[in-house]
Amino acid sequence: MSTDTDRIEEALRNIQIAKRVRLLFSVVVLVLFAWFFTNALSEVGFSVGEIVEYWPEFTDALGDFFPPGTLFGVVPFVDVSQYWAFIQERNLLLQFQDGNPVLGAVFVTFAMGFAGTILGIPGALILGVLGSERVTPYPFNFIFRGTMSVIRAIPALVWALIYIPLGGVSPFTATLAIGTDTMGNLGRLFTDALEEVEDGPIEAIESTGANSPQKVVFGMLSQVFTPFIAWTMYILEINVRIGVTMGLIGGGGLGQVLQTQRGLFRYTNMMATILVIFMLVVSVEFVSQRVRSYIRGNEEGTSVLKLIVEFPQRMARSIWE
Amino acid sequence: MSTIEVTNLSKSYGDVTALDDVSFTIPDGEFVVVLGQSGAGKSTLLRCLNGITRPTSGSITIDDANVVGPRNDVAMIFQQHYILGQMSAYSNALTGALGRTSFLGSLLGLYGGDDKKEALRALETVGLLDEANQRAGKMSGGQQQRVGIARALVQNPNLLLADEPVASLDPASAETVMRYIRDAADERDLTTIASLHQVNIAREFGERFLGMKDGQVVFDGYREDFNVDVIDRIYGDIETEAIREERADGPPENNAAATSGARSHEY
Repeated sequence: MSTDTDRIEEALRNIQIAKRVRLLFSVVVLVLFAWFFTNALSEVGFSVGEIVEYWPEFTDALGDFFPPGTLFGVVPFVDVSQYWAFIQERNLLLQFQDGNPVLGAVFVTFAMGFAGTILGIPGALILGVLGSERVTPYPFNFIFRGTMSVIRAIPALVWALIYIPLGGVSPFTATLAIGTDTMGNLGRLFTDALEEVEDGPIEAIESTGANSPQKVVFGMLSQVFTPFIAWTMYILEINVRIGVTMGLIGGGGLGQVLQTQRGLFRYTNMMATILVIFMLVVSVEFVSQRVRSYIRGNEEGTSVLKLIVEFPQRMARSIWE
Repeated sequence: MSTIEVTNLSKSYGDVTALDDVSFTIPDGEFVVVLGQSGAGKSTLLRCLNGITRPTSGSITIDDANVVGPRNDVAMIFQQHYILGQMSAYSNALTGALGRTSFLGSLLGLYGGDDKKEALRALETVGLLDEANQRAGKMSGGQQQRVGIARALVQNPNLLLADEPVASLDPASAETVMRYIRDAADERDLTTIASLHQVNIAREFGERFLGMKDGQVVFDGYREDFNVDVIDRIYGDIETEAIREERADGPPENNAAATSGARSHEY
């Protein structure tokens, strides 16, 4: 009986020791973490004092970001007309001159993302397919995987800087940069998708006496056709967002308008531009997601008309559900 | 239509012997069923005949030509059908013509007009002409297997191989699919070799039977010799109600037709 009690006592002691060791370890980790964090803060010059000092300035700016006004002359609301005035003045959306459409900045930004994606697809396909171990035997596929890794290691913005001698500071350069970035990112996604193809259909294609390129196209690529389109749509979303940031370094489009207005401290105009950016990015994501869910298999999908007609209903549902 | 001659065929994977000195000859136009337990070597035999698998030793000749790799005139139907789910039934059938189409031609869809009609004719043979445009992945298991048969037929094969074509189907679809294979073989006078492991289906459709056990052919004969004792030899001592009844009833050839009914599923 007493030995039982002893054993229980000992077990309890062991648990307590283990607990104390764990506590000590947690404290050490926490201290280390705090030390790194404070160092990081001082490295970036973070200071609460500055926030407090400049807070009034920020609230002033907020007043400019959201100019006060009224809705229907009664309800206090943001003065939307100021945004609209700027959108019209700088032609951020679309204008008509003598009945001819003049495409605004939003189209420039979208065009950068769209054209960049399309330009990048062939390279992504070649690198992605050849990077797969199923197509290129083991050590050699790393030539292509490596190429994609190098491309991805360099951000799209930096690619734009690299291409400046080629195309100047322009939407053209930005598009080249986005295309290059797409080769790395989309190519990598293609490779990953290819790793998951099933062997059976490839073998079946082989059994018909097909040659090797036919085996790759019909046996492998046909299996990943829909994931490829889905990934391409996903990359398009990302590229449109990159298109916005390209403007910040002078690549044109909405980003450049934003950068210019920031330089002029015209916060109302900045917010107007941000609203247009928001609208663009959300629409692209919306369309892309619809396309992806459609090709991922719910065959009936949703018709465009239904999409528009049912939009308020969906929005409302997303608010209270 | 072709004569197949298999001589001393052996295949081993490392220490495992899948085929052990297999020899047989199949004359033109026969419908041969290969029977045996899982792992008896049925699939390996068919894959060697198709040329996807290279034998360790021995030779296979089809009309005096050695099999050295996959050829367009030898078609294979797979257990898991292995069709491309993303493509339509028609496109799947058309892949049977890949072996005689250039890469660029196949990429651009420039198949010969005859090949396109051939694909539709094959789909008609398997009763899927109306579903030609349907996505193969959306079809039922039995329909997918029929698309697999259509692909094989588009190859215009001289030899049709089927590796457990109905193993993953329900009994009714299995019968339908087997019937389509037999009709296609009859219509085109094809030499056909199908591996099966449902004895009842084998008896219903086979003309000649090859029984395999542990990589060896333990039985090679025609319908009249394929009796309960042979089944015992192929599968070892299995005792089911159906076999007991058959033993009691007398010689098997008398009720070979009757055993195709539901009861014989108990084999």
